[in-house]
Amino acid sequence: MAGRLLALSARSIKARPVPLGAAGAHSNPALDATRAMIGNREIVGYGMNGQPHYYDRSDIPLPAIRWKEATADIKCLREKEKGDWRQLSMEEKKALYRASFKLTYSEFKAPTGEWKQIVGASLMLVSVALWFYMAVRVVTRVPLPDSFSEEKQQAQLRRILDLHVNPITGLSSQWDYEKDDWKK
Amino acid sequence: MMTWKTLMSPDSASPLMEQLTFLHDHALMILLMITVLVGYLMASLFFNKFNYRYLLEGQTIEMIWTILPAVILIFIALPSLRLLYLLDEVNNPLVTVKTIGHQWYWSYEYTDFANIEFDSYMIPSNEMEDYHFRLLDVDNRIAVPYNSQIRMIVTAADVLHSWTIPTLGVKIDATPGRLNQISFLLNRTGIFFGQCSEICGANHSFMPIVMESISPECFISWIYNMSEI
Repeated sequence: MAGRLLALSARSIKARPVPLGAAGAHSNPALDATRAMIGNREIVGYGMNGQPHYYDRSDIPLPAIRWKEATADIKCLREKEKGDWRQLSMEEKKALYRASFKLTYSEFKAPTGEWKQIVGASLMLVSVALWFYMAVRVVTRVPLPDSFSEEKQQAQLRRILDLHVNPITGLSSQWDYEKDDWKK
Repeated sequence: MMTWKTLMSPDSASPLMEQLTFLHDHALMILLMITVLVGYLMASLFFNKFNYRYLLEGQTIEMIWTILPAVILIFIALPSLRLLYLLDEVNNPLVTVKTIGHQWYWSYEYTDFANIEFDSYMIPSNEMEDYHFRLLDVDNRIAVPYNSQIRMIVTAADVLHSWTIPTLGVKIDATPGRLNQISFLLNRTGIFFGQCSEICGANHSFMPIVMESISPECFISWIYNMSEI
């Protein structure tokens, strides 16, 4: 990208100096380059950075050039546009808009649904990672100690409750000591 | 001790630990509020359609979001400092227990009344009964009377160890050649567990601490029995 900017600036530098007098009968080479890029489209303002490019953006609304080259119809409408706008029909207003702009605000601000592709691809990659994780866990599995057996866990739980471990907000607070069962 | 369904700290058995739990809950509440606020701000920034290229500053809101964190920090700092000084309060303990950390067991001495000394080894997994807690139960527990101030003097015989019981909010390093003192009070009966908290070699994970909190009468009879051994 930097290379392209360099080439562009080199081209504009190479285009100067502008010949004067009779030798200036030949048109400006810089203008030639611009016209080669944008065709016959009218330059109407500064745009984003002074360059004659077209874009649709909501934060820098008016591009530097019109979207379409001016035809005879459009030139006619432009003359009519200089008068009272209430004389313009809806079709004429739309034609004028589309001559200057490619998309309407609602068209270029419309959701693209691109987020679904991105979220979908990310979730697929996450699931691949999870499969790898599960594979490692399965391959490296070690048998649990004896104290994890069901009877031993029951015995330990009985002892925990008899000792009133965590009686305030923890496990023993959920046990009903009168009924010898969990609180309902 | 930690059981199933214990997400944060276990229930306290000492008034200082209660205060620590309250401070933790208070600070966590503030943190959660800040997190929700920031999460909401980020989400709304993500999904809004606002669009303004020339935004440079907003003096009022900048003042607010500079002063507000300072105010929030004061709300956290004041209870924290209060508790910090509370933990260092001077009191008059009833019983003194001395503990010495060895590789890899604790030994305890009660020298107030009679010359009682004993070692406390972890019960190995192959000698466990069904109801024993793996890596937590020991052969000889320390007994202390509840609702009485206990003084604990901790040292080590060889390398660094650390004596701790989380439900009491107590953790003190056992340093060889140094006596560290801590004082606590238990306000309920029961058995409380802890594990050595300073790396001390191969069996660092296998030298637990078990304290049994009993009534003063039971404690006196326990002392009597131990002194005859």
